[in-house]
Amino acid sequence: MFSFIKRHQIILASAVLGLISLHLASTTRKGTGGEVIVRAVLSATAAPFQKALLAAEGKVAGVWSGYVYFVGLKKENAELGKTVQSLVEENLRLREEASLNARLKELLRFKDDFPPRTLAARIIGMSDFGLSGGWTRTIVLDAGSGDGVGVDMPVVSHRGVVGRIIAVTSRTSTALLITDPRSAVDVIDQRTRIKGLAEGNGEELVLKYIRRLDDVAVGDGLVTTGLSPVFPRGLSVGTVTKVENGEDNFFKHIEVGPASDIKKLEEVLVITDGNTAGADKTEGGQPTVPDGRVRKGKPQTRGKERP
Amino acid sequence: MKDFLIMLPMTVVYLSFKSVLAPAIPFPDITLLITIFIAYERPSVRGVALSFALGYIEDVFNGGIIGTSSFALVGIFTAVHMLSRRIHFSTASIEALSAAGLGLVKGFLVWFVLRLSDLNVPVIPQMLLGAFVTGLFAPVILSFFMWFSGHRVPGMAKGGER
Repeated sequence: MFSFIKRHQIILASAVLGLISLHLASTTRKGTGGEVIVRAVLSATAAPFQKALLAAEGKVAGVWSGYVYFVGLKKENAELGKTVQSLVEENLRLREEASLNARLKELLRFKDDFPPRTLAARIIGMSDFGLSGGWTRTIVLDAGSGDGVGVDMPVVSHRGVVGRIIAVTSRTSTALLITDPRSAVDVIDQRTRIKGLAEGNGEELVLKYIRRLDDVAVGDGLVTTGLSPVFPRGLSVGTVTKVENGEDNFFKHIEVGPASDIKKLEEVLVITDGNTAGADKTEGGQPTVPDGRVRKGKPQTRGKERP
Repeated sequence: MKDFLIMLPMTVVYLSFKSVLAPAIPFPDITLLITIFIAYERPSVRGVALSFALGYIEDVFNGGIIGTSSFALVGIFTAVHMLSRRIHFSTASIEALSAAGLGLVKGFLVWFVLRLSDLNVPVIPQMLLGAFVTGLFAPVILSFFMWFSGHRVPGMAKGGER
């Protein structure tokens, strides 16, 4: 018996760990189970590295487009080259700042039109978006529980819903994007007011439970219903891109392009209001006060309270 | 133990790097290559545990469903261990092809576990790109592991090592 175990110990260990993996996969589907300690340790280790990489990436991009372009200039042009280089770098920096300024302005404009309390956060990491064959669609934000971020808080951009927070450490948080297969958002067709469930499939969204006789057409905009406890009402989720009759002869197969192109986002807003669903105003009919905090990046701005 | 101390931090650093640059560039699957290396070069119960830990870290890091990558990597460890008696990674092309093939196997194993978890995910074509990139870089990375572990470079000529 012991000799058998000893001879096949690797196979047996693999079988045991394989079964444990399957058990973990079936019990921690939401990814918020017993991995809290590991996540906290990894976050503490990786977050500074990710931030440093992000900063370095920006500098390398600047050097690449500024310095490398001038490699090969003759010696007599060195001084002129240096001047041009510094001007180009300055120009790049200013352009980057102008771009950041424009993005922050858009976010602030969105905040002004959007009553719940929000917190701006920077994206410091992303899952691989399928380039390594994975289906996970998550982003890592540089705001954590210390900033008031909590699990299940909605993450939005000025274009619409981005996802929701699924894990939080003191300094960072992980958001599940709406295109992740684990994500499902209650939505309503803006044109026909037909309700459905927008589920992620890794690449985009699939609108489910729409009957064949329901009127949903390509180009229709979908917004959140506010029925779920996570997302406030009226946030843009996406636009219908394809409508077909489903294979089950009952429901339609509808594909939806997400409103926010996460690959192009650098900052997002986390709605930190505890209960935001459908709550546009406070009890007295006055709008809630947005926090107005914009973290990191330049310029740092602090929003003002609404009257 | 030494493998754990070296490979786990290396994986964390690599995954951090990948998570910042990932949307633009397809990266080779380092956890898969470490698993192949350990399973082929140093098959042991500790090696199985390492592949499980690598998968766990990958899942936590990506915010994925815990257990999917662990299951895939443990499965690949077993497969490589069993096949290592018949197949020898004697040339770079065999290493590249094997790594690319195992990259696809990993993708399908993850897909299989997701389907078991009632998630209706499609098989995505990017799996092919990921497997291709992993295969392309496999000879270099595996040689690096060999060098790093104090073995001879190049190749993973098992027959010659033992």
